Amino acid sequence: MNRPVVVVADGAADTAQIAAFERDRRALLRRGLALGGAAVAASSVPLLLAVRNAFADDETDATLLEKAITLERTLVLAYDRVIQDGFLRDEQLAPALREHERRHAATWVTALTDLGGQPPPEPAGPAAVDKLVKGLGDVHDEAQTLAFLIEIETAAVAAYYDAQAKFVQARLLQSGASIMGSEGQHLVLLRQAAKLAPVPEALETGTS
Amino acid sequence: MTPTLSRRRLLATAGASAMLLAGCADDTKNANVKTAPDESDTADADLLNSMLDLELEMVAAYKTAAGGLRDGALRILKGFLEQEQAHADALAAAIKNLKGIPNQAKSSYDFRPLGSQRDVMRFAVERENNQIAAYIDVLPKLSPGEVRSTVSAILTTESEQLAVWLGELGLAQAPSAFVLGRPA
Repeated sequence: MNRPVVVVADGAADTAQIAAFERDRRALLRRGLALGGAAVAASSVPLLLAVRNAFADDETDATLLEKAITLERTLVLAYDRVIQDGFLRDEQLAPALREHERRHAATWVTALTDLGGQPPPEPAGPAAVDKLVKGLGDVHDEAQTLAFLIEIETAAVAAYYDAQAKFVQARLLQSGASIMGSEGQHLVLLRQAAKLAPVPEALETGTS
Repeated sequence: MTPTLSRRRLLATAGASAMLLAGCADDTKNANVKTAPDESDTADADLLNSMLDLELEMVAAYKTAAGGLRDGALRILKGFLEQEQAHADALAAAIKNLKGIPNQAKSSYDFRPLGSQRDVMRFAVERENNQIAAYIDVLPKLSPGEVRSTVSAILTTESEQLAVWLGELGLAQAPSAFVLGRPA
């Protein structure tokens, strides 16, 4: 018997991966969102899954912090690009949120160096953003930009949701909660700009 | 670093092992044997009950505040009221999972009199900030694992609700990179 394989748009993907990804994708579509205003491509599947489980296999505070630093720096890169593109009518929004992401990254760098660790290399260029959530290069207007930013902020919330179960040190756990709350507030601003319900779920886990 | 609650759980497990050895028998298959909740589970249930008290109080606060709101603000409040009730339900379920008994809502709560619609929204901001501060405080006291994620998810929703109320008041909705629950 042939192993079932789902074939979509640009190629085949592993069935288990698709099944896991479909849960998130259906949630996205339910929210009326899709990357770049189009259906999510199969080639995005492993990348999105990697984000969803960004912290799943890490055991130590130091490795969690390394991932968190890369996550926050990647968000900064995404906002850099959004500011450069200039599709958002509210010109203050993206710079303000980018500054928050910078501060989050700086907090995590300090925490990691306090533990004796070394910050990971800086992510660079659109490829680094694509590793987190694909599609930034395909946005051409405000609606698509907002949809992308909502997606990447949602991914950040999902990553912190996972990390919160794994942080050991109390101050890291509390910083994680404080930053996760901040990403949630970013989502409110972006959803309101996109004319979406600002707080659609009672539990903001980044998966629904 | 080993968290205190994990150490307690370890000690409780060690204690249970010692008792098992002393009895030289495995009673786990005996339906008449009642197993006591783990010590750290009890501690977690107590902590979650303190958060449940806050959620139940928040539900009551929103019900009280509803009388002072109209139009869009009232619609927002009704949505948030449902979410606060969902938080209370989630916490009650978690407490039951830990073999604890969820606290019940008080028969009445003592809230200050609220005047204008802006007073009501400021009251909502104040309550949301209190909730957030309480959740940040309790997080490290909980045992590591999924319950910390759930509590963080509730805290994030409260942060979002706070941002909405701040916006309704014409204030900066995300005034800081770190949501701490300090008064706006």
